[in-house]
Amino acid sequence: MATNATGPQTGVTLYSFTNEWLTRQFEVDTLLAEVAKRGLGPNIEIIGFQQFKEFPDVSDEYAETFKELIAANGLNPVSCAINSDRFLKPGQQPIEDAALVEYHKRQLRSAKKMGFSLVRYQFALPVHLLPEIAPYAEELDIRMGVEVHAPMWAGHPAVQAYGEMYDKLDTPYLGWIPDFGGTASRIPESMLDAARAKGASEDLLDKLKEVWLEDGMSHEKAGRLREWGMAHGHAPLHIQAACLAFFILSNHDPKSWAALVDRTIHIHGKFYGVSEDLVEEAIDYDTILPLFKDGGFTGTMVSEWEGHAYDTRDAFEQVRRHQAMARRIWGN
Amino acid sequence: MLPVERVIGEEGLARSAEGLKLAMRLPWYRSLPFSVVEVASLAIDGAAVDLSDALIEYDGQTWPLAENGEKVDTFWFIRDSAFLVLPSQSAVAGSDHEVSLNLFVSPPYIPGMKRTNPQTSTLTVAA
Repeated sequence: MATNATGPQTGVTLYSFTNEWLTRQFEVDTLLAEVAKRGLGPNIEIIGFQQFKEFPDVSDEYAETFKELIAANGLNPVSCAINSDRFLKPGQQPIEDAALVEYHKRQLRSAKKMGFSLVRYQFALPVHLLPEIAPYAEELDIRMGVEVHAPMWAGHPAVQAYGEMYDKLDTPYLGWIPDFGGTASRIPESMLDAARAKGASEDLLDKLKEVWLEDGMSHEKAGRLREWGMAHGHAPLHIQAACLAFFILSNHDPKSWAALVDRTIHIHGKFYGVSEDLVEEAIDYDTILPLFKDGGFTGTMVSEWEGHAYDTRDAFEQVRRHQAMARRIWGN
Repeated sequence: MLPVERVIGEEGLARSAEGLKLAMRLPWYRSLPFSVVEVASLAIDGAAVDLSDALIEYDGQTWPLAENGEKVDTFWFIRDSAFLVLPSQSAVAGSDHEVSLNLFVSPPYIPGMKRTNPQTSTLTVAA
């Protein structure tokens, strides 16, 4: 288990099985059993708002049931992903700070009572609210890692602002959760193929690749491609299929993660397709993973297959390969 | 169509005492408050349906579709269907109809993202 770890650990987020989950092929109990049976644990992450109907306010009863399921399957509930839902009324002002703080506290309580060691939270939480939330996490004894997710990366101004606040608060309860989609080397070919299958043409995809390399927030870049696409007669649904890339991947230096290793408490091993010879198609794991091992990281990297956003490949096989790839690189 | 894109629920179209009822699935990967979901349009057999008297029925609760934008603390569990109730619509049990539904989703933690999710299916009306 993580407490005796001498190096980075592998695990899986159930988010990888989104297709199987949405199509009702599994219930929570059968999905946990499947993960255990296939040896993809014991370390797992669960998105509270994906697997738990009672989220954000999980009852004591359900928490007990869940803990029994975890124990019966020999799993280790490392991380519960919570959400910083600040824009509850589209096109209107974000919710009040006090309401957002309370929204986080509700999710922290639920995660804690279900036995999770840490939560994933998001940059949608304004940095000035951290001094209000951190003491609550300390009181509950649950760590919080903000997910550094595309278009963010170690050098992004929002990450730097958080880093400054982390220095000021100086608590082991706050840290980073790198998501490697922020340092993709290219747009996965499988994603481009999915857009082609929907009817997107090559000139739209060429423009996508060009805009993807430019600076800016996801929605700004999506806006740029949309504008170009509409002006050049592309169908809105083809443009939407292409724009997916802006929201889940960005192109920054894979080595940039080195700056965040010290405060990294957990990792999202984002991936799109690992080949039979154990190489991921868009993210340079051979460069990234040694940074964490060499930097002394002993937490868990959960395999996070996100190909389900455009593809229906066998997620279990993809996760198996991703974990095998991590063990190859880490030598464990 | 990917699971994450589907908006017409497995329970399909059915008659009920309140009117015609259409099952809807949330086209996203996680539960969301109803306030960020908008029923953009519905057409049955090619004719646009007036949604001004439509209701949402979910998990034992019912509210007017017009109030959906206020439902910031009622969460649509990603595994569940919600039902669009159409008091002015009726159909014969066992008859087939082409249903086109489009839902807009604005994920509440991704500013500026609004996804459109059209789906058309031929459904057989359940009694």
